[in-house]
Amino acid sequence: MEDEIHPLLHPAAPSGASFTALLGLPPSRAVELLHEPTFPSDPALVDRAARFSVFAAASSAQSTEVSPPPPLELAKKRKDAGSGNGKAKIKKGKPAEEDTDGENKLPYVHVRARRGQATDSHSLAERARREKINARMKLLQELVPGCSKISGTALVLDEIINHVQYLQRQVEYLSMRLAAVNPRIDFSGLDNFITSTTTECGRLTIGNTKANSELDPQQQQPVWSEVGVSDANQMNNSTSSKRPQSQLPQNQLQQFWHVDLLNAQNHLQPSIWAQDEVAGSTVPLLVFDRVNPVEPSIQSNQQLKMEL
Amino acid sequence: MENLLSNASPHSETLIEERGKRIKIAAEVGLARSSGGRLWARALRRRLHRQRKLPQQACIVKNSTPPLMKEVPLVADVAEEKDEVEDRVRALQRLVPGGEEMEVERLFEETADYIEALREQVGVMRALACLLDGIESTDGDKL
Repeated sequence: MEDEIHPLLHPAAPSGASFTALLGLPPSRAVELLHEPTFPSDPALVDRAARFSVFAAASSAQSTEVSPPPPLELAKKRKDAGSGNGKAKIKKGKPAEEDTDGENKLPYVHVRARRGQATDSHSLAERARREKINARMKLLQELVPGCSKISGTALVLDEIINHVQYLQRQVEYLSMRLAAVNPRIDFSGLDNFITSTTTECGRLTIGNTKANSELDPQQQQPVWSEVGVSDANQMNNSTSSKRPQSQLPQNQLQQFWHVDLLNAQNHLQPSIWAQDEVAGSTVPLLVFDRVNPVEPSIQSNQQLKMEL
Repeated sequence: MENLLSNASPHSETLIEERGKRIKIAAEVGLARSSGGRLWARALRRRLHRQRKLPQQACIVKNSTPPLMKEVPLVADVAEEKDEVEDRVRALQRLVPGGEEMEVERLFEETADYIEALREQVGVMRALACLLDGIESTDGDKL
């Protein structure tokens, strides 16, 4: 098989001869061929560009047992070649098959070229880059609800933009809502906290911070290490139950929004209440590690009650 | 008891707005810190830092259109299509913190992560709001 291909790829082969040679190719191998009056002078570059292309990566997962006819990009053979495949891409006549001989490594990995497109190294790199961008775009499409149905780059981007704006507006709205909901929680210490906070612990306090500046971030570290990561279910139950709390001095009203810096995970998980060693009081904490999405603990309930 | 409840002073609206702004900043800090490694998070932190020091000027900086728009070569081939897409990419660049300095590929990556982080942040805040709402109503009953 490879022997058959080699002559096709060598620049020496005249187009007529390659055509007949192509006809002789058995359909059992899925091969992507560059359509080009003159083959690229540097097959290694083609190889590299193709490997880096998302296209090639995606297609390597395909089983070699699938046997569409070799996708000949010669005008006459186009339809016949395409018929074996279920997929059909409409865009610019770009062939839809994405099969590559992933397992049987051919010396030349072929990048699919659009009809009439140049395949010099420049455009190849361009194409590979564009494919990467397309892949990212698809990722975004999946992320944004309702986006996968939309076709057309501009419209998809529209949706993405709308979604981002929507989320940002949500944050604004919820901030206002939180501000309005309970005037008894005093957020005046926030500015103070932001200046005094270190980046290590990544904590954020919304609340009275007379004690904030006194709290040494480093001393707070052991507090965090005590704070285990609680079970999602556990936390859900705790929202309905009311845990008895030790006394909370009035000026210790603090709520922390902690998001773990070092944690590379992607979900939220609420924390538990921890003893603040420095202040000697129970500090209500709303700590969120990006681990599992759960309801925040209900400790603030307690302290609000005590305020009454 | 009623005194506590009527904590709301006559100019409580501005107070709430003010609080709201601070809460929003808090939320953004949390957001930025949750995804420390990301470009958008770093840019957001830089912006917040600036806001802290020069609240007014920082606002202006944030809202102005950036002087330099990087030319962003895109996927679409047709000229008109290209323009449309480019416009949107620029809009996206403005939305995502730090987006103006990113090229398309990176921009999309960062956008995806930004969207995820935003979603989580919204979830947290919403849960908190519901929680506090619940508390308020229960306390109201008891009073």
